[in-house]
Amino acid sequence: MKRKDEEFRESRKILCPYGFTLANLKAEMRAIWESNVKEWKIELTYPISFTRQCIEPLIFLLPFIIYGLVLVGGRYSESLMHLVGTGDIVTYIFTGYIIMGFIGTSVWAMGFSIRKEQWYGTLESIYVTPTSRISLVLGMALHSVVHQGIAVLFEFSVIYAIFGLALKIEGILPALVIFALMMFALCGFGIFVSSLALILKEGWIISEGLYSVLMILSPVAYPLTVLPNIAQQMSKVFPTAPALIGMRSFLIENYTPEVIGNVFLHLLALDLAWIIFGIVIFSVTDIYVRKRGTLGKY
Amino acid sequence: MIMRPSETYSFRANLLIIWSEVVKNVKFLLAYPVIFVFWTIFPFFWFIPFIFQGQAFVGGLQSASFEQFAGTPDYIPFIVIGAILNGYVLTSLYGVGESIRREAYRGTLDYLLSSPCNKAFILIGKAMSESINGTMYAAIQFVVGILFFGIELTIDTIMPIVLIIFLLILGLYGISLMLAAVSLQFKQAHDLAHTLEYVFYVFTPVRYPLQSLPFWAQVLGKFLPLTYALVAVRSIMLLKQDVLAIYQEIFLLLVVDIALIFLGFYLFNWMEKRTKSSGTISHY
Repeated sequence: MKRKDEEFRESRKILCPYGFTLANLKAEMRAIWESNVKEWKIELTYPISFTRQCIEPLIFLLPFIIYGLVLVGGRYSESLMHLVGTGDIVTYIFTGYIIMGFIGTSVWAMGFSIRKEQWYGTLESIYVTPTSRISLVLGMALHSVVHQGIAVLFEFSVIYAIFGLALKIEGILPALVIFALMMFALCGFGIFVSSLALILKEGWIISEGLYSVLMILSPVAYPLTVLPNIAQQMSKVFPTAPALIGMRSFLIENYTPEVIGNVFLHLLALDLAWIIFGIVIFSVTDIYVRKRGTLGKY
Repeated sequence: MIMRPSETYSFRANLLIIWSEVVKNVKFLLAYPVIFVFWTIFPFFWFIPFIFQGQAFVGGLQSASFEQFAGTPDYIPFIVIGAILNGYVLTSLYGVGESIRREAYRGTLDYLLSSPCNKAFILIGKAMSESINGTMYAAIQFVVGILFFGIELTIDTIMPIVLIIFLLILGLYGISLMLAAVSLQFKQAHDLAHTLEYVFYVFTPVRYPLQSLPFWAQVLGKFLPLTYALVAVRSIMLLKQDVLAIYQEIFLLLVVDIALIFLGFYLFNWMEKRTKSSGTISHY
């Protein structure tokens, strides 16, 4: 009887890949993909909400453009030309605002991924699976990046049709490389924000706060040089400022970067720093909330 | 048999409903003080980019082009006033409009709707408490605006501004009632609140004068109470005009208010009866 018991226990063993192995990497990639698919299924269940979210970036971009046109009394600003070598305010604002949705990816989609699972009532179930928690967060990020990509395409089509955009076609590829580097750093930042949501619960205020601060510190609708000196220094810590300066250098004719330096090296350093920082903080927080037993608390 | 006292429908009873809602919402706010801090501070973060944008595009604090549309070259006080009054829109849309949905989440909607009182007064109570919160946020923001953003406020302009804000709040009550009515039937009020926020964001003169929009957009903007409130408050505070000079805006604001409140009450009562008879009140 005792032997039979042991055999029974043996057959219930589940073998999961773990550690730094190819099998484990494949399993985590699968988890990221499935998390992304799940988000799409939920999102497409509410098509009106999905449509609204795709239009939203355009709605928030329009006041920046209309306000700029009213201030200048036309499309070209002498003052902006003096600051960055180009006076076309529509192209300048558009190339800046396209990244705002992706900041949302890090502070809202990634930052809120854990909290959302709690709302759905599936957080505990996910926590007992042998999948890395970071894979769940990255799956949400993958969904959000594609979602924001669709929104940017819509935004581009409408602004191009109404105002026209003077962009350098040959600059798109290097701009996309810079964008990818920025996204790596934003992923690290998003992992950090999701660890805050583990502790703070009502983390929407943190997400909204970080989004607003990043909006101010990023040269979305104005060059960095108009910010106070301390804000200019703070903007170097986040990937959006060097990424926007780099992308505009490739996309806008005659654009003169307001900050001198190698954008690629700056972004690589930020990628490394934010990813390590995000993962370390997330791991520490994860252990802390499980030890305290506050994971399922609202 | 339960005897319903005749005072249930009396004026005093309705006042008690409003008072109880106000007390309940104040308790909620005191339980989450971070929400108070959020609504007081973050509206500044939302308009600061527009100030830096102005400095980058015109190279100073005044714009001659802006003056042609707005009547004043000072764009900073213009957008600060816009942001403060827009705060009332946000608190009414998300605070009052979604209040019915929040009651459903808390599991208290069925009890509220089965209570022997006029449900519109429950909503008025919710709207009043949001207005009190909104006024506290606005007062703090006005003080910050006076200290740091060049807003000028004199004693003789306070009463007309309070009157205009009161009329704005009345109009927003009407919109909130409509939003709450729609959320009774269609549940997902969040999307509708966002869509309404977009309409206010683009078609009212929060960041730029209404005249800078195409004609059709100006017409749409004139159906919204915030448009008249912003024009009137800016005329008093920035253009130093007398109240008599803006009587037209105040009158039109009153007309829009009456229309919105009437529509709001009608729609809410109709939707309440409809959802009660269809049995879908507590559906998610």
